[in-house]
Amino acid sequence: MKQFIVIGNSAAGIAAVESIRSKDRDAKLTVISDEDYTAYCRCVLSYYLAGETPESNLVYRSEKFYKENNIELLLNKKVTRVDPQKNRVILEDNEKLGFDQLVIATGSSPKFPDIKGIRKRGVSGFRTVKDIKEVLGMLPIVKTAVCLGGGLIGLKAAYALKKRGIEVKVIVKSRQILSQLLDKAGADIIQEHLGSQGIEILTGADIIEFLGEGELKAVKLDSGKVIGCEVAIIGKGVSPNVGLVKNTDIRVEEGIILDSFLKTSVENILAAGDCAQTYDIAMEKSQVNALWPNAVEQGALAGKNLVGEGLKYPGSLGMNSVDFFDLPVISMGITRVPKEGNYREFARKVDNSYKKIVLRNNLLVGAILVGKLDNSGIYLELIRKKIDISDIADKLLDVNFSYAKAFDLLGKEDSTYFEIKNK
Amino acid sequence: MKRLYFDVEKCMACKTCEIACCVGHSLSKDLFKVMSEESLPLPLIKIKEKDRKPYPISCRHCQEALCVAACMSGCLTKDKLTGAVLHDKNKCVGCWMCVMVCPYGAIRPDRKRKIPLRCDMCKDLDTPQCVKSCPTKAIIWAEEKELVKK
Repeated sequence: MKQFIVIGNSAAGIAAVESIRSKDRDAKLTVISDEDYTAYCRCVLSYYLAGETPESNLVYRSEKFYKENNIELLLNKKVTRVDPQKNRVILEDNEKLGFDQLVIATGSSPKFPDIKGIRKRGVSGFRTVKDIKEVLGMLPIVKTAVCLGGGLIGLKAAYALKKRGIEVKVIVKSRQILSQLLDKAGADIIQEHLGSQGIEILTGADIIEFLGEGELKAVKLDSGKVIGCEVAIIGKGVSPNVGLVKNTDIRVEEGIILDSFLKTSVENILAAGDCAQTYDIAMEKSQVNALWPNAVEQGALAGKNLVGEGLKYPGSLGMNSVDFFDLPVISMGITRVPKEGNYREFARKVDNSYKKIVLRNNLLVGAILVGKLDNSGIYLELIRKKIDISDIADKLLDVNFSYAKAFDLLGKEDSTYFEIKNK
Repeated sequence: MKRLYFDVEKCMACKTCEIACCVGHSLSKDLFKVMSEESLPLPLIKIKEKDRKPYPISCRHCQEALCVAACMSGCLTKDKLTGAVLHDKNKCVGCWMCVMVCPYGAIRPDRKRKIPLRCDMCKDLDTPQCVKSCPTKAIIWAEEKELVKK
């Protein structure tokens, strides 16, 4: 009987096992996780910390799932090494498990910049249930929290802590928040909104030292200013968990390099999710897009290809959706026009709503939507399918834009309006 | 799986379906009482137009549902038996990932209630409200196979 191993028990790993089991009920299937928790919704952690959703809602797949699908789940086991030559993985406790085929879905870990005192108690990442529970445990003694980083992690942490009635300051190195997702105009709307809800954001600032003896008492900024705080959340991005394949035949750049079938450079080993580097549809180059929807899509496809379906992965895309104090924002693809290349951008701003599209030649390659999100999925589809949008370019920002307006471009296989199709 | 199809030659864009949908998903289920309900129900079906041609838009309960794949809270699931895409509003956190990925624009955010607005095919009813209400019988509630035969 064949033995499949999936390393990782989150979005990509779960999607992979679901695909595998939809085709192969018999093979031995083992999932290994270095966490001590059933598969959970990582992106919901901030809502849990905010007190907006109970812990029970974190569960993404319960024990029942593993039983019903005949999956052996190994929790709290860290794979330290993949040995492609002997087709086995080696665990931290030196146990060795053999496989016929392997999916690496190890995810990513928070980056901790090299700042003096960053390992003090009270300084935390914002990634795992364990991280969040530690922060929750400290809440009763916390008056002020500092979030380092103006990306989604830092701001979602800030939002959650503010909801808990804690004073929050966000330290952002660049001149705007969400610099990876939004342009200045979009970011300014969010920043003002967060400010109006009592979250203080300091742009153009950085932490140079975490102060306190053992426990965090304050942070020191590069301006010399000292801010007293009991908790600091580090939101400086994530790096792919690829240590387990270092110095093997599996090629790695920033993430594990995959071909268009999500195979690594070793025939019987696939990868998916945050640890993987894939072709980005908008950027047209290989990069890591560490995002939940990409991870699920990749995991599902890797699982299918593991059981021999031979499906091509169309590519990943930067895409994010978030809602801060009832102000929603979506960002997709390229949102800031690069200096080189034939790019054009069009924007429309009304009060607290902002919409921008970015075109490269006759293709839509990116969009920002703040406030009003309607039809964002149609933009995403136009980006994904790389459809020549010349015919509707002038309508994309119209308030009346809808699927109907894009039907001639997108509706070729849509059987919903059958009279049209049958004519 | 039965789902909604639209005979757009018959559709007059009268939006009776939108109203029937609102009433059907209200607390009172009564057109005249609906207006006084605390949160006004919003239609889960919308009539859009292009060059005066109507395009009713509602959730297609896709086979490979992008919204289910993108749903980071696990509140959107595909019912293996019926094929319907189900939504658990207690699990939903209102992140709008589903809105972001729906290629038909068939999911809209209900910002007040923090849940996505999408057709639930009137769950327990034999026939969805919009189908019953359509004065020109432009909304067809059928299996895809049945439709091809017509």
